[in-house]
Amino acid sequence: MDSSSSSSGAGLGAVDPQLQHFIEVETQKQRFQQLVHQMTELCWEKCMDKPGPKLDSRAEACFVNCVERFIDTSQFILNRLEQTQKSKPVFSESLSD
Amino acid sequence: MAELGEADEAELQRLVAAEQQKAQFTAQVHHFMELCWDKCVEKPGYRLDSRTENSLSSCVDCFIDTTLAITGRFAQIVQKGGQ
Repeated sequence: MDSSSSSSGAGLGAVDPQLQHFIEVETQKQRFQQLVHQMTELCWEKCMDKPGPKLDSRAEACFVNCVERFIDTSQFILNRLEQTQKSKPVFSESLSD
Repeated sequence: MAELGEADEAELQRLVAAEQQKAQFTAQVHHFMELCWDKCVEKPGYRLDSRTENSLSSCVDCFIDTTLAITGRFAQIVQKGGQ
């Protein structure tokens, strides 16, 4: 058995590249939509006090800040977890289930 | 289906393990976001101020310490029960 042909994924069961690309795009679209829904829910609570006749500039600015701070917070938590994982490697085991 | 050589199989296992770890890590971050966003971010400003950052750090650290404490306690109980 010659295993040299199994490099670059061709040996792992050839999938139509067009289909694969299509699936990747659709998956990404779905993830994006999920993120939009999640953020709308979070930021609505933070930024909308009493809905008025239109979206005022204060609420709009708040929404912009909300999305950006959400991204900043995610990054901050990611960094913090990476730091903690280095100093307390036991933790990652107790979290996995 | 062509059989994978030993080297390819090991490589595949390594890739799968790496992807699993990435997914697990992402899920952890998502979980922490749910917990700590509400507690620490009142009204989103132009940047993360130091008060918010401290709150987030505390949030993450406290959750980790709590998890370790509870895990440790359960381990004790299981140990005592087994003897």
